[in-house]
Amino acid sequence: MHISEGILSAPVLTAGFAGTAVLAAATMRKLDMEEVPKISVITSVFFVASLIKIPLGPASVHLILNGLVGVVLGWRAFAAIMLGIILQAVIFGHGGITVIGVNSVMLGGGGLIAYLVWQQRFRFQLKRRALVFGALAGAAGTISSGIVLALALVTTGEAFQAVAATVLAAHVPIMLIEAAVVGACAEFLQRVKPDILAGQQGDRAGRAAG
Amino acid sequence: MALDIDRYAHLESPLQRWDPRLKIAALGLFILVTALLQTIPMAMVALICGAALLGLSGLPLRFISHGLSFVLVFLLPFFIIMPFSYPGDPAFHWLGLGFAWEGLRLASLIFLKALAIVMMTFTLFGSSRFDISMLALQHLRCPRVVVQMLLFTYRYTYVFLGEMRRMHTSMRARGFIARMDPATLRVYGHFVGTLLVRSFERTERVYKAMLAKGYQGELHSLVTFRAEAADYLKALVVLAGGVVLLYADRAGPWRVAAQGWY
Repeated sequence: MHISEGILSAPVLTAGFAGTAVLAAATMRKLDMEEVPKISVITSVFFVASLIKIPLGPASVHLILNGLVGVVLGWRAFAAIMLGIILQAVIFGHGGITVIGVNSVMLGGGGLIAYLVWQQRFRFQLKRRALVFGALAGAAGTISSGIVLALALVTTGEAFQAVAATVLAAHVPIMLIEAAVVGACAEFLQRVKPDILAGQQGDRAGRAAG
Repeated sequence: MALDIDRYAHLESPLQRWDPRLKIAALGLFILVTALLQTIPMAMVALICGAALLGLSGLPLRFISHGLSFVLVFLLPFFIIMPFSYPGDPAFHWLGLGFAWEGLRLASLIFLKALAIVMMTFTLFGSSRFDISMLALQHLRCPRVVVQMLLFTYRYTYVFLGEMRRMHTSMRARGFIARMDPATLRVYGHFVGTLLVRSFERTERVYKAMLAKGYQGELHSLVTFRAEAADYLKALVVLAGGVVLLYADRAGPWRVAAQGWY
């Protein structure tokens, strides 16, 4: 779910680019040479996975998976999501060039929040920790993006209040779908290849976060 | 779905011949101006400019049809929601809902601008090879590491698209049908997980191969840019057009929304 060209006002677009610059600079500090191909390859996986369509009534919904990017890449999720958005704008004409900033803050910020939620999992004694916190992270990623989008619309103008409310309501079913998919995926990765997940104790993803 | 944005980059036209650095800078600013327009007549002029650029580049219309259909699907709800939700006095009531012309005007404005920008974006990136566009971005002070990651991502997107199609085919061969139920969502979670594990292992191989070829954190290219008088002239024409458009938009006699917009 990203916003299209031509809707938001100049101050909102500018704020989007400024926010993106700040978040990108903060989350891409001390980037290892080794991480460049890794982030890129994982970005293309998410790019491709976001083409998956799940039927919903007469229509279908796309996966967003920005929460899963947070679960896998930690703080580096922002860079990955930003790259995905730039490529989508350039290749598909989805979203658009002038909204790259707003969309990056919206989806990339959601990815970072998902990571923060994901990091809370060691505080709890749970049997299926990866499933539960993966699902929570997926839900947090989606709904925080929905909130940022609604805020961007409301800030642009009063005329968009109803649109913003509709957008936020539409994020609720998407949030449930994302929670189920990200939870299942996190549990799968925990079982199959746990070192992919961000913030595993004492691994390199954890070091990248520090 | 065809992803390769640069499959018509070999065509001969003033846009394909334009120095990509100046092309990105000039058209990028023009796109920005378009995004900031507030009046319908000027948005129409921008749309005509976008269509003219597209025509000039010789890119076929079906090349951009996917992007255009996305805009349609995304923006059609605006035509329904905005006229009925615009704050202020409605022109008339229909089914108990107030209908405001101003809301319809805003929806049309958004629609025209989005259409114009999609046309310009496809023309901009469809008329140069993708790697050359990215190199031009680097010359325009876009951070090196971002440009590198964009190139990698673009490259591997095709690999994983093929991989995903193969996995999907084998899933369907085993009898999988996508429905909206918990089982489907779980299967898709595992599907994405498998894709991730495979790609993660690939990254390690790719990185070692790059190191073996002498990668030290920089990409080298044989492409050199050369801007001539004609390149500058094109940039000047586009920029002048943008300035005139923005001026006519702000100073012109056309009505601007009384409230709720800028």
